[in-house]
Amino acid sequence: MPQATEKSGRLVCLGLNYRTTPVEVREKVAFPRPSVPAALREVAALPGFDESVVLSTCNRVELYAVHHLDDCAQAHATLRDYLVRRFDLATGQAEALVTYGLDSAEAARHLFRVVSGLDSMVLGETEIFGQVKDAYKAALETGVTGRALNKLFQHAFSTGKKVRNQTSIQRGSTSVGSVAVDLAEKIHDLAECRVMLVGAGEMSRTCAQSLLSRGAKSIIVSNRNYDRAVELAAEMRGSAIKFDAWEASMHEVDVIISSTSAPHFVIHPEQIRQVMRKRRWEPLLIIDIAVPRDVDPRVNEIEGVYLYDIDALQAIADEGRRERQRQLAACEQIIEQQLEKFGLAASRE
Amino acid sequence: MPVSTMPSAQFLLVLSTLAFLAGVAPALAALRRGRWRRGRGVQLAAMLAGFALQTASIYLRGQQVGQCPMKSLPDILVFVAWSIALLYFLVGSTFRVSLLGMFTAPLLVVMHGLAFSFPGGFRPYPVKGQIIALVELHAALALVAYAAFALACVTGVMYLLQERLLKKHLIGGLFYELPPIQGLARAIQRMVMLGVVLLSASLGISFKLEGVAAGPKLAIAWGVWALYTLISIVIWRHTLSPRQTAWLAALGFVIPFISLWLVT
Repeated sequence: MPQATEKSGRLVCLGLNYRTTPVEVREKVAFPRPSVPAALREVAALPGFDESVVLSTCNRVELYAVHHLDDCAQAHATLRDYLVRRFDLATGQAEALVTYGLDSAEAARHLFRVVSGLDSMVLGETEIFGQVKDAYKAALETGVTGRALNKLFQHAFSTGKKVRNQTSIQRGSTSVGSVAVDLAEKIHDLAECRVMLVGAGEMSRTCAQSLLSRGAKSIIVSNRNYDRAVELAAEMRGSAIKFDAWEASMHEVDVIISSTSAPHFVIHPEQIRQVMRKRRWEPLLIIDIAVPRDVDPRVNEIEGVYLYDIDALQAIADEGRRERQRQLAACEQIIEQQLEKFGLAASRE
Repeated sequence: MPVSTMPSAQFLLVLSTLAFLAGVAPALAALRRGRWRRGRGVQLAAMLAGFALQTASIYLRGQQVGQCPMKSLPDILVFVAWSIALLYFLVGSTFRVSLLGMFTAPLLVVMHGLAFSFPGGFRPYPVKGQIIALVELHAALALVAYAAFALACVTGVMYLLQERLLKKHLIGGLFYELPPIQGLARAIQRMVMLGVVLLSASLGISFKLEGVAAGPKLAIAWGVWALYTLISIVIWRHTLSPRQTAWLAALGFVIPFISLWLVT
């Protein structure tokens, strides 16, 4: 069991992420969840070290620790050697292992940025907050955290919340799938939302999965190749219908995602007018992912129908990314203020 | 009238107006910055403060005139504004409270402003004859019904905005804050129905008040009731699209709003 951190203990972070290291190497040094408590104890028991937190996600592996070594470079080397030994990396693999080592204020700043989603592949994503919380909780339960890491992580969580609450870093959609979800949510109650896939392309599948993961009620798949429709429907716990039957079912769904390979429009204004009469003005979202387009753009002129083609979705996602980039400076400013407030910026030198 | 010599009921009303105004400004600024959340707490606090001051003002005004303060146009406007604020808090959980507040607060400011625009509008008036509880209830129910129609109007505006953003692919700050259009359409329906039920109850009471509640006032109230009953039927039978219904709810409020002048 590590001893309580002394006042002179120094914070260190050694890590690798999607920017520094390719997935072939990252997957070799990832810590599966059951192995984390053992890893935490091993890091804390390294000579000169006591506290530790291990963060292992699909995009990053980071070791946070407190050490009493004179030389920070030595601390980085010790942690790096630990990773090489722990995962039994061959010489070539060890050489390909590109890591970053951060100390004191830099390590704290890095953690604050990670928790706030600023270091994520999708800027501002929120999942990382929960992942860091889980990593810290595991360390706390294993008994390898002390005063230094406890305070650091509490400060990091409060900073992460502040960044999310005071900026719009997490607002807006950054992918076509999440744009589809946002649109559906602003038209319908997702829990009551029925989705139809016309055509079984990869992009339409991604959109449908995004909708299902956010609580869409049911899914119907229709494809020229019926077997493919059945396969996709089974994967998404939905139902499949023959390709010549999708038109008759259109009025029963709230979102239509179309991605056929037809060289001409397959959904026309007259069809949708009839559908809307049957729907008694219930709104209908149509997402046309096909190129060439499946849906006649005049469909958007029909009352209660909201048509988005791939360019419209892409433009919204691009704007979402730009908006998050614009928020970056404000987020960094909050992080600097928090580092100052918690006395972590001063320990930089 | 200088604020220092103003009776306390009116002074509280001025403060209430300022509180509602304070609720609009930070929300608008936050919206312009695209950081809606920053204005949320201020918005709610301002609405709560405005409502508390408004309630206290109506109470003091009631003490001043010795009856329910609903006998002059300024008093009626204030009472309807109070009912709107009350309903806003009751239905706030259906929407994002602060956002409905952003749309409701300007309406309350306008109504307070109109009430103050009548010279000598808040003069005390004598109690004419005996105060009959049923008459007071009849009037109060009618005014709360008008408040429900006002909120249907506000919700209608929100629907039309969100619908336009969706149609024109204007996916930005306001889009993410406005509720889903389906929810807004249902809220319009509920507000109109609530107003019709309350106004029906008010008019039902009038049958028990032979000779006391009659004449042009009652005729206008029946006219408003007929208009909103028609809107309810149109909504219920899906005769019009939700967008057309939203326009009806938004513009329809002009009639009860103007009728407040006619009945006084």
